[in-house]
Amino acid sequence: MPLKNDGKIRPDGIEKVTGSLKYLTDRRMEGMLYGRVLRSHYPHALIKSIHTKDAEELPGVKAVITAADVPGLNGFGIVTPNQPVFCEEKVRYMGDAVAAVAAVSKEAAEEALDKIIVEYEELPILDTMEKSLAKEAAELHKEGNILHRAEQKRGSAEEAFASCDVVVEETYETPRQMHTYMETEGGVVVPEKNGGITVYMGTQHGLKDRFQLSRILQMEEENIRVVSSPMGGSFGGKDELNVQPYAALLALKTGKPVHIHNSRKESVRAGIKRHAMKIKMKTGADREGKLLAHQTYIEADTGAYATLGPAILEFAVEHASGPYDIENVHTKGLSIYTNNGVAGEFRGFGGNQITFALEGQISRLAAALNMDLHDFQAANMRKNESPGPLGHRIAPTNGGLLVLEAAERIRKEKEAELKEKQPPGKYIKRGIGTAVTMHGGGLGYGRLDPSGGMIRLNREGKIEGVFGFEECGQGIVAVIENTLVQAFECRREDVCFLIGDTEKVPVSGSTTASRGTSMVHHAVQRLKPLFQQQLFERAAALLDKSPADFYTGKGGLYKFETREQAITYRELAEAFPEKTLEVQTTFDFPVTPDEIDSGHFLYTFGSVVVEIEIDMRLGVVRVIDLQHAVAAGPVVNPKGYRGQVEGGGVMSIGYSLMENAAMTNGQYDTDNLDTYMIPSIQDAPAEMKVEAIEDLYENDQYGPRGVGEIGTVAVAPAIAEAVFQAIGTHITSIPISREILMKLGRKENRYEARV
Amino acid sequence: MKPGYNSTVKKDVHFQVNNQQVSYSGNPSARMADVLREDLQQTGTKISCGVGRCGACSILVDGELMNACLLMPCQVEGSSITTIEGIGSKEAMDPIQEAFLTEGGFQCGYCTPGMIVAAKALLNQNSDPSITDIQEALAGNLCRCTGYASIIRAVRKAAEVLNVQAANEKS
Repeated sequence: MPLKNDGKIRPDGIEKVTGSLKYLTDRRMEGMLYGRVLRSHYPHALIKSIHTKDAEELPGVKAVITAADVPGLNGFGIVTPNQPVFCEEKVRYMGDAVAAVAAVSKEAAEEALDKIIVEYEELPILDTMEKSLAKEAAELHKEGNILHRAEQKRGSAEEAFASCDVVVEETYETPRQMHTYMETEGGVVVPEKNGGITVYMGTQHGLKDRFQLSRILQMEEENIRVVSSPMGGSFGGKDELNVQPYAALLALKTGKPVHIHNSRKESVRAGIKRHAMKIKMKTGADREGKLLAHQTYIEADTGAYATLGPAILEFAVEHASGPYDIENVHTKGLSIYTNNGVAGEFRGFGGNQITFALEGQISRLAAALNMDLHDFQAANMRKNESPGPLGHRIAPTNGGLLVLEAAERIRKEKEAELKEKQPPGKYIKRGIGTAVTMHGGGLGYGRLDPSGGMIRLNREGKIEGVFGFEECGQGIVAVIENTLVQAFECRREDVCFLIGDTEKVPVSGSTTASRGTSMVHHAVQRLKPLFQQQLFERAAALLDKSPADFYTGKGGLYKFETREQAITYRELAEAFPEKTLEVQTTFDFPVTPDEIDSGHFLYTFGSVVVEIEIDMRLGVVRVIDLQHAVAAGPVVNPKGYRGQVEGGGVMSIGYSLMENAAMTNGQYDTDNLDTYMIPSIQDAPAEMKVEAIEDLYENDQYGPRGVGEIGTVAVAPAIAEAVFQAIGTHITSIPISREILMKLGRKENRYEARV
Repeated sequence: MKPGYNSTVKKDVHFQVNNQQVSYSGNPSARMADVLREDLQQTGTKISCGVGRCGACSILVDGELMNACLLMPCQVEGSSITTIEGIGSKEAMDPIQEAFLTEGGFQCGYCTPGMIVAAKALLNQNSDPSITDIQEALAGNLCRCTGYASIIRAVRKAAEVLNVQAANEKS
């Protein structure tokens, strides 16, 4: 059954719909200065000199800083900190920072940027992966132009191709996608009396920002406080540091709060994007439709610096065979430095690219074998206890088959509906397409992935969930609230949450990788008995009873004996004003027991059914309907679940049909939302359905999984399949080219386009 | 120097914001979005693209939907401006705000003020909009979180509630 409205209102809702919520970029402080960053003029050049004197002498300018002003490590990057805070000798992309200024007004800061003179010596631009891999190419980093290589091998694909009856080979290309969070990066950094700073800027992991800033500023982590929620969207894009170091250095230099809020243009120019990938696949099956061999070669354009490029490549390599049981798999991947914009973490994390390619292969093979796509997928779908895609042990799951069957049911219903519909006009082609995917949650084997949380009875007598998670819009605050209400069977007004402030929260790990919901659940399950025990002991002492006499409920503790309320939470808090009742836990995200790098353990499954119409005269694909089935365990927050999957789906309609942050000579072709097109309300289906398959495989103790990413992963291949169903042509690259569709239309309909 | 920077030209402009009289004295070609956010501390109006595409800064000027990032004080002399803060408050929400809340027509919330202002402009003129009407009226407002279906549900719900209210007032 599709998800329905549960009538609950998320705790940050009223502030959001009334516009009263203060985002971190909305903050204004007494005596605040405005910061701006000078970005590189060239995609690849040597810096010969930087003259800041003219800028410093401008009225209203309070500080101009360059690499010389970085006391600690002049670099950032979550794993490999090789992106300079300020470039000193060389710039490697148009977003590289060279200097920064703080001034009394935005206008003065802007003018100061114009007065900084940087002399460059241009270098040849490596604006394609091919150029970077050429023998004569200049080395962008001391380790060369390859950031990372990843490979996995099971059986022998090379040998197995000989025994295949059908082999298909194809090269797929996917675009650089921009996150396009509506709130661009920024906030305020405030210098504190103790010499430390408070950073009010959004991020997906406040404690990680604190660690990175400590390294740059050469300042103890204890002296850095990061307030990091709420955010106006992130989708992975604010996971890495962005303008925090500049505001922090300027605040320390001037002794004043410094506000930086990127313009959209600067956000486009400097911000990370989804990796553009080129994926070659060769896949073979026997004539009965059994997949026998699968070979993949991935090239990922990672741009100028590392950020999480290696992990994203490994994720793509891991998911190359997706949810299918294939004995012989060989996958290789390269993450390649170029002078293009930095590519990094983005919802789906390499899964979207590889799934587009994989499902493309499955569709081609089914067609070549003259088999029904669903039957072919079902015949090869992983079994409940099949190993994971790296041949490693994972939590047993039947999610793959469940979402596949749901999609087939929906597809048949839609097919019947289409028969009833008026036939479209002469130039309109209709198609229904499906695709399926499997997506790992958490960071994977061999990566530090700690989590945890805290529950306390606060002074007001509320049960407070305290987590190091961040609110980017996904609704982690509603997840915390719902999980607490369910655990203690109490009222909504009995609970509250505290997140997004490194001074107050415990280690929960990053708010990424679809891990938040899952980890809140795990933490609360661990903390519940501990917290209840303390509540009961307090009540027992106060009321002269035994701790075993009580249970938690609406508004307070109840007696088993009479089912009556014994004491309210507020009374319990007030009875011990000096001693806060508080319990805390730490643990790791579950990983596979097999020593295999990046191997995930908990996977979610998703299937997508789309109905499209193609206007063959214009080459325009319209998505008429988009339906999802998702197997991710119990639903914690129905509106959030549906919203994440619907929203992720439309984000991927953009990925499939319109979005491409293309670059020419190392420069973005588009610099704002008037030219980088994301779906508007007219590009999205007006009604969508999301079916949540909540049943977990027998004895699965891992509870709800996150659904932040799964709704984005299988949309592009489903649309590609619908195009194939509509016009019989398999497309190889996204966003789907209007020109190609128009050419096909012209050929078929024998009309000439007027040019 | 780029035009407009450190403008020494000052002009007095009088207009209303959410029924409060405002006397503005400053750069007549400043962005109204900045005037609202910086000078008047009405930060419910957001800035996202700054070029009039995304609608995060949507406001009503004499009842008409406009992008505050493309508007200057010299253009609003004598006008009455409504921002999200004037549509409703925490204590007294507009039915449109309530519908966004109960239908989940928002996530990160950054486009939400502009989206609600645009929905208000629509419902002021059309009490029973079709899906196509809603899509046309909100086409200037981008949202990256929701995928819009919940926004359509919210606007339809708000229209229903407003129509029931209107019918009750009549009878």
